[in-house]
Amino acid sequence: MITNFDKLCGDLEKQELEAPNGIASPTTYAQLLAIYLYQNDLCNAKFLWKRIPQTISASNPELAAIWAVGQKLWKKDLPRTYQALAAYHWIDPVATIMRALEENVRERAFNLIGRSYSSISVDTVVSATGLSKEAVLQICRDRKWELSDDGVTVNPIPPTQPAPLHTSSEDQLFKLTDFVSFLEN
Amino acid sequence: MASPLEQFVNNVRTISASGNFRELCEIISKSDEVLQRNGAHLNTVLETLDIQQHSLGVLAVLVAKFSLPQSSNDVDRSTMFQQICDFISNCNGEQVRFCPELYADLCHLLTDHLVELKQPIRGIEILKKAIRKIQLFDSQLTSIHADLCQLCLLSKCMKPALEFLDTDVTGIGTELGGNNDSKHFLLYYYYGGMIYAALKNYERALYFFEVVVTVPAMVVSHIMLEAYKKYILVSLILHGKILQMPKYTSQVVCRFLKPLSVAYHDLARSQHAAVKHRETFLRDKNMGLVNQVINSMYKKNIQRLTKTFLTLSLSDVASRVQLSGPVEAESYILNMIEEGEIYAMINQKDGMVVFLDSPEKYASPETLCVLEQQMAACTKLHQYIQEMDEQIQVNPQYVKKSVGCHDEDMPATSQNSKTTYTM
Amino acid sequence: MFDLNTAEPMQVDVPLEDNENNETECYVVENPTLDLETYAASYTGFAKLYRLTFVADHCPSLRLEALKMAISYVMTTYNVSLYQSLHKKLAEAIATSGLPDVAVQMGSQDIPVLDSMWVESKTKKAAIKLEKLDTDLKNYKTNSIKESIRRGHDDLGDHYLDCGDLTSALKCYSRARDYCTSGKHVIMMCLNVVKVSVYLQNWAHVLNYVSKAESTPDFHEIPGKDSNQAVLTRLKCAAGLAELATKKYKSAAKHFLGASIDHCDYPELLSSNNVAVYGGLCALATFDRSELQKQVIVSSSFKLFLELEPQLRDIIFKFYESKYASCLRLLDEIRDNLLLDMYLAPHLNCLYMQIRNRALIQYFSPYLSADMRLMAAAFNRTVNALEDELMQLILDGQIQARIDSHNKILYAKDVDQRSTTFEKSLGMGKEYQRRTSMLILRAAMIKNQIHVKNTGRDTGPQGGEAPGSSTSLNRAFDTVPL
Repeated sequence: MITNFDKLCGDLEKQELEAPNGIASPTTYAQLLAIYLYQNDLCNAKFLWKRIPQTISASNPELAAIWAVGQKLWKKDLPRTYQALAAYHWIDPVATIMRALEENVRERAFNLIGRSYSSISVDTVVSATGLSKEAVLQICRDRKWELSDDGVTVNPIPPTQPAPLHTSSEDQLFKLTDFVSFLEN
Repeated sequence: MASPLEQFVNNVRTISASGNFRELCEIISKSDEVLQRNGAHLNTVLETLDIQQHSLGVLAVLVAKFSLPQSSNDVDRSTMFQQICDFISNCNGEQVRFCPELYADLCHLLTDHLVELKQPIRGIEILKKAIRKIQLFDSQLTSIHADLCQLCLLSKCMKPALEFLDTDVTGIGTELGGNNDSKHFLLYYYYGGMIYAALKNYERALYFFEVVVTVPAMVVSHIMLEAYKKYILVSLILHGKILQMPKYTSQVVCRFLKPLSVAYHDLARSQHAAVKHRETFLRDKNMGLVNQVINSMYKKNIQRLTKTFLTLSLSDVASRVQLSGPVEAESYILNMIEEGEIYAMINQKDGMVVFLDSPEKYASPETLCVLEQQMAACTKLHQYIQEMDEQIQVNPQYVKKSVGCHDEDMPATSQNSKTTYTM
Repeated sequence: MFDLNTAEPMQVDVPLEDNENNETECYVVENPTLDLETYAASYTGFAKLYRLTFVADHCPSLRLEALKMAISYVMTTYNVSLYQSLHKKLAEAIATSGLPDVAVQMGSQDIPVLDSMWVESKTKKAAIKLEKLDTDLKNYKTNSIKESIRRGHDDLGDHYLDCGDLTSALKCYSRARDYCTSGKHVIMMCLNVVKVSVYLQNWAHVLNYVSKAESTPDFHEIPGKDSNQAVLTRLKCAAGLAELATKKYKSAAKHFLGASIDHCDYPELLSSNNVAVYGGLCALATFDRSELQKQVIVSSSFKLFLELEPQLRDIIFKFYESKYASCLRLLDEIRDNLLLDMYLAPHLNCLYMQIRNRALIQYFSPYLSADMRLMAAAFNRTVNALEDELMQLILDGQIQARIDSHNKILYAKDVDQRSTTFEKSLGMGKEYQRRTSMLILRAAMIKNQIHVKNTGRDTGPQGGEAPGSSTSLNRAFDTVPL
């Protein structure tokens, strides 16, 4: 089970750069591409896809399937993103990343809806999150989003900000001293 | 083995042992021709030298070897990559720093070789290592930087260049200045700007293109012209208008670049220029950026709306910024909310959008943290400037000049300050 | 990559810069209510000639009359070349007026014909007079009597002016400067230079000499209070014109407001009516409410000027009373006549726009929210047109407000000073960092003598290989979204 994608990302990048003749193994490419997507780093994902030698991308359906997801993300076409994710039977190690990616995309979609809509139709939420209507309604209840009387629109509430980070007062004092000493000199 | 070559080897060995590398540099600079003439024997020479002990000698031989014309049968290029890698990994940094030009030349040769092989990605790691080895400090620019950026662009693998590009340059390697041409300097900033633009970091891209365009110039280089075109496009993407060039931009640049980039100036006035000058943009390979400009114009217009309106229907938004309809307007607004470019609430039921002020109240601990970081950065820069000022204050040339004694040989110092270069 | 053989500088070719077209404003005024006779009577000299020509150029219905008046006036001077060009214009006007025989027959008696005899004799007389004045001046110079030399220069200047040679006139008047023996002379010299500079539209020169005159030591001690006032008013008027012409409407207004009606006698440049109109409009466009009240409405001296232009007086009062609809309507009514004023016309749109904006801003200033339908009615506009206008003002930062387009209400925006301050300082910090790192880089560049120079390699007429010879590189860059 892979948990630290950032570290894996660094390792894979290194593998690619050190590959003999500059061509890495298909699994390296596949994982790296999936991780870029997971990190929502679409620019680097796109350039990676472009630099993978054609012989490799053509003979590895998994790579093409990952990029199919990336393409939809690039176009910000959420409904098709979920379709593309469901359209391929992922195998580990890529499967883990793709699962995490899907959750990530969905979470972002929910947060964005919460931030951007004061009222939205349930159908739009369904297509933006790729879930069933029942699941959507359940999550809306969890998030305390109110379903209006007509039964077709919900009224989302903005997501709460994560708890503020705490800094030690000692640290604060240190910075303040630094600043004052700069001003006085 | 021919006798001048033998003499060269002997020189390298004895002088390296005595540690007088400055003298060795002199000798090497004169033995170029000898080495080139004896192309067939260079491999034998290499065998007699030790990479670590005779770094300068090996460097000279390698450069001579790989500078021989392609047609020459004496050189086996299949081992070139490996040989140069070995050298860069194992050479003595102290030694090669006596001759950075030659060291950079070796890297240029490697770069050209890989470009030719169409395997640019292979050179990225080794050039990174090469730069780190020759640098005196992290923020020193070398002419190898441009090679690295070129390989990154060609291989479409941009990320490795960022650790260098993100470091603001405070000093420049001697091989870039003086009587050498400024090509590698211009190229580094041009490629760097392109890498940033490709990764959509337009702020930095603009900074890099601005550097290219403001390099002191007596004539205008084509690199500057291309950078200027991209400067305009990135400026339009970021600010919706062409920013004024800084006052210190060379006059030739101001005078010559504008008439040569009419299409780009047209684009600033009207987006119809994108169609009208399509040929030009395609030829300049800037169409991708031009499309980004058009896209950002819609965004800029929507941003203007948020500044003037409290509420607006989605169809009004569409008609005011000339989008196809409410659906497209909704998707633009949604994307902009996601990017944090506007603050708004869409009401799908009524088809209305309410524009909000930034929710940022600048009262959170995060704000404080950001503020502290920014202040620290400014303080650091300020202190750096002060240090520079102090250095100038104690510079004998400066003191002499400011006292009023006009000395004519002023410029001479900056040329022989190879090692005292710590700005 | 860029072709290594051509290397730096890959110098760029320089195409010829195309000359920018000088746009001259071309418009036609159809229905003026101007009484040309009275209008022309207010001016003498070049003021009369220039103004009549301007009317002729922009108003077809008054063209013939204006040209005739100008021609008969120019015949009282030595200005032969202007006489000829006026006749040329007249011929064109008749040709293009399109009215065939009838008009020509009717007009045949009073349409003047080019009198070449007059031209010849005037040219001769002018030459004789010039010669005489020149000899006089030479004699004065040999006798070196300062006062006579000064007068000699002035006379020569007057003559050049009469002949229409403005540059020579300016030279003569300026030369008199070295022979001035009293403050009064200096001021006279300044006035002469100012006058000719106005004709030449050299506005910097005008302002320069106005301040020269005002700083003349005994400027305020000239005997006879009246003549002093008269000089002051002339200087104010000339300075006002110059500021108006250079679009500094606020200081133009201040200058005109300083004129005194009892001493306003400056037919060589402008009439009292002009002072009223120029001053009034500029003030309306640039003064805030209290300035308008103190300096225009209750000003005892300017009130008298406004009496000359009752329409404008009404406009100013309506504006002050916040009756914007009628104020703007009245402004539209006098628009055509103002467009025939050579100094005002180029600025009229700008001034009108500023007045309108000022009205909009003032209308909204006391409100927290305003109904845009009512506002539109008050400004003779449709709600949508008003919305666009307000949008521009908001974007320019002239009104702090937001539009509720749904309910057509304009809401004042309360600005959170604290947040704006934070925002600004963060922006400033970023800018500082950008500039400073650029500065440090530049210092390093200069220390290393990095600059683009000609390496002496001839790159040929095409200035070397164009970059982008490496297509692969550029394609890598061309990041078209998928």
